[in-house]
Amino acid sequence: MFILYSDVLQVPFDTSSLISLFWIGFIMITFFYQTRLQSYLALNDISRGLNKLTVMKDKARKEAIDYLVNVGKAANDPTQRVDQFLDYVTIMPVDIDPAGLVGKIDHVVTTNNDRVRQEVGALLNQNNPVTVSISENLLEVATSLNQIHKIVRHFYLLGKKTNSYFTLIQLQMLMPMIIQEADALLNAVDSFKMGQPVGDGVGPVVVSRFMAGKEKRVVAKDTVMAITEYKGRKLYVLKADGPMAYVGQPGVAIKKIIEEMGAKPSAIIMIDAALKLEGEKTGEIAEGVGAAIGGIGVEKFQIEEAATKARVPLYAILVKQSILEAITVMRKEIAEAADKVTQVLNRVIEEKTKEGDEVLVAGIGNTLGVAQ
Amino acid sequence: MSSVPGTDKKTKLLVYTIEECPACGQKTKRAFAVGDYVTKDGAKCTKCSSQTRVSLVYAESSKPSR
Repeated sequence: MFILYSDVLQVPFDTSSLISLFWIGFIMITFFYQTRLQSYLALNDISRGLNKLTVMKDKARKEAIDYLVNVGKAANDPTQRVDQFLDYVTIMPVDIDPAGLVGKIDHVVTTNNDRVRQEVGALLNQNNPVTVSISENLLEVATSLNQIHKIVRHFYLLGKKTNSYFTLIQLQMLMPMIIQEADALLNAVDSFKMGQPVGDGVGPVVVSRFMAGKEKRVVAKDTVMAITEYKGRKLYVLKADGPMAYVGQPGVAIKKIIEEMGAKPSAIIMIDAALKLEGEKTGEIAEGVGAAIGGIGVEKFQIEEAATKARVPLYAILVKQSILEAITVMRKEIAEAADKVTQVLNRVIEEKTKEGDEVLVAGIGNTLGVAQ
Repeated sequence: MSSVPGTDKKTKLLVYTIEECPACGQKTKRAFAVGDYVTKDGAKCTKCSSQTRVSLVYAESSKPSR
């Protein structure tokens, strides 16, 4: 057997002793430096994700500028204005005294939306409402991606600076979900530019079938309504004004129809897209009760308040889809679900109301590429 | 034809417009063209010559091109 002799200690050293020494050393290093090693790996991982986010936000910004110049025929170079736009902030009202908070949020959000439309309108050299609404949506996508990038970069640099293992590990765990959402936003750009209906527009697609050929009237900002009839019931049907990329103000509209127009609905039926859980199929239909509407909560509050005050039951019909499918061009499965939703809607109307009743039907969602 | 990346990035989505005849119910599928939207007037129906309407615009996946 090969034997080593230490010159200093004059003791024999065999190979198995060397291997044992290596393992002892390895265990000691991993014991004391494990978190540092993992922090290093997490930093590398986050750095790769951050690079992807940088590419995404730059692409969204470029696409928005190109659209403003090429389609919107912006009179001047909009680059500087767009860059200012990306960093614009909306300061939410204080919530330590929650009384009247929804009204305050509504006020701030409405002010922001009005400002965005006004500024986009000023940038463009035309007033085609579809182009203006698409520009608004493209700028919103670019702003969202810019915001995501900034937040991720903040925590990445903070974790690096403070050598905070837990900050980095948490961020590393969240990165796949963040990238997935950012990817969905970036994919939405193509659909918006082309003016194609998105998955979220399934509610408006169903409602548009009831509105076709009927007289339409504006009941709230970007929201239209028509009166029609189904098996002896008077239907008030509403959706955002298409084919612009609007979501409208269904809360204000429902409140107005009930409180100001004197409608006495026996049921309010809302049709909306709903985020599916992993494992659920795209285009699956779910029925339920309650206000089927997403967003910050203002519209939901207004609808719930109006329905509760008038003691009108709220029914929901939901079409399941992922976040990517909701904001990109409508998939075949979702479009086909629109036919099934129409059948479900008819059945709910027949089951929950009787002849002579009034029913309010709202198609909730972005109505890009869906007129009425 | 308008195409966008699919969910898994390996497939491409092709976008189609469906024109439906309100009189005879015949449906025609064609490639999406910029400016198409649901309820827009389409071409004359090939069966009964009535005015068709765009009833749906949707995307379906195709095999990835090599």
